[in-house]
Amino acid sequence: MDIFPQAFSDAILLAGLYTLMAVGLSLGFGVLRIINFAQGEMIMLGAYGAFWLFTLMGVDPLISLPLLVVAGFALGWVLFHGVVAKVLDAPHINQILLTFGIGLAIQHVAIILWTGNARSTTPDYATTSSVVGDVLLVHGRVTAFAAAVVMVAALIAWLQWSETGRATRAVAENRSAAVLMGIDVNRIYALSFGVSCALSVATGVVVSFILTITPFMGFPMLVKAIAIVILGGLGSIAGTVLGAFALAFAETFVSYYLPEGSGWAEGIAFVLIIGILLVRPRGILGQAVET
Amino acid sequence: MTALLELANLRVGYGQSVVLQDVSLELHQGEIVCLLGANGAGKTTTTRAVSGLLAPWSGEIRFAGENIASIPAHKRVELGICLSPEGRQVFPNFSVHENLLLGSYSKKARQRRAEMFDEVYGLFPRLAERRTQKAGLMSGGEQQMLAIGRALMGCPRLLMLDEPSLGLAPKIILDVYEAVATIAKRGLSILFVEQNVQAALLVAHRGYVLANGQIAAAGTSAELQNSTLVQEAFLGKKPSLLATDGARGHSAAVPAI
Repeated sequence: MDIFPQAFSDAILLAGLYTLMAVGLSLGFGVLRIINFAQGEMIMLGAYGAFWLFTLMGVDPLISLPLLVVAGFALGWVLFHGVVAKVLDAPHINQILLTFGIGLAIQHVAIILWTGNARSTTPDYATTSSVVGDVLLVHGRVTAFAAAVVMVAALIAWLQWSETGRATRAVAENRSAAVLMGIDVNRIYALSFGVSCALSVATGVVVSFILTITPFMGFPMLVKAIAIVILGGLGSIAGTVLGAFALAFAETFVSYYLPEGSGWAEGIAFVLIIGILLVRPRGILGQAVET
Repeated sequence: MTALLELANLRVGYGQSVVLQDVSLELHQGEIVCLLGANGAGKTTTTRAVSGLLAPWSGEIRFAGENIASIPAHKRVELGICLSPEGRQVFPNFSVHENLLLGSYSKKARQRRAEMFDEVYGLFPRLAERRTQKAGLMSGGEQQMLAIGRALMGCPRLLMLDEPSLGLAPKIILDVYEAVATIAKRGLSILFVEQNVQAALLVAHRGYVLANGQIAAAGTSAELQNSTLVQEAFLGKKPSLLATDGARGHSAAVPAI
């Protein structure tokens, strides 16, 4: 049997998820010029949120998604005003240490509260599947893909057509010119950081019925998100989508076609990071940024 | 009558270095005032201080009678202070139309958006033709028109233009100034910064000459045109008093005009 259709559809489904995972990081960097190293822990919090709502109250992850997105936004908003705003003009190393520290703190609180045991949410669609032609479609993955597409599309539409979204892009492009338009840059920063955290929490919710949930799940996802964002070009949403597809296809095809491929696949992200930094440091669609 | 804009003993700088030592000037409703001076004299610093991008070290910035020195920059746009900044600063990845939409971001301007679009596209038909073009792909002159149009979209009570002729071909400078003259005829108050003295004095009612962070001369356009100081500094006679950055710290003699 030809495995290409299966590999292809798996790659597409994974790419949708990867886009959602990386797009928050990309937005945060594009607007605030800060890489939020706690983004992985936001994903983890989202996954636990979905897990507890499902386990304790029987709420389907797709129902809890909007609630947790709002909570994630609020968390981001508070984090911005509480700490991130204070390092906006600080050296990059301070920003990295700060967000990294926030991530570590969240991770350890999660270990204390919820132990290191692996868990997962198990709505019906997590385990059912159907066969279309030669392709096996796991309903959980299809559901996650659909949710991701809806959210990324909503984000793009918001950035493209809403008054505030347009202002957000303007701040990303030229901060002082944006001020001259009457845009309250600090408000846009808080909003973007909030949206960026909300998107990570959303990622956590949709992976809660695909992957195992542990307090440590965030970091590898952060690394992949960084690989995607660097690949596509920091701060470019279109580039992020492209980067997500590139990583998803590279990983999936390596794991299908190489012997012992699934082990190698996890390392693809690093190969891509190193390769792109050597060959085209601004990323595929990125613009040169002065720092 | 209170002035629309009044700077009183304004002192501003970047970091440790002072740029404007002591600047006082005023602009009345409906007036067109130009700010002349050599490179580094502090012209752009003045517009940045008025628009709020730079906080004054001391002194007052009064707009319509109120001291606005502590009001953040984005709120000054709402008050009606709109700047077309030095180097144009259009948003390169946005279309012409989107740049103009951003120009009318403030709440007050949003309500008059349709009306202002008609006005700006009427004033600059070139922009209307290129409304879907990315701003970054346009010529310098077109970008300048866009920057002015974008500032107009904010429904200014005071329009500030920082070096609208910078880097443009002479023919395009004429086009830009023709548009400025048209805007001026509608009674809008304009403060503009210019190194191109002849173009500036054609349009302005009055002018100030900045040198070394101070007002070195002031007067009507005709007076400035004839003043020896201006002629020496800008019109090619022996360059003595005002010179350049290097001379900062020396106080220029203020001639009686």
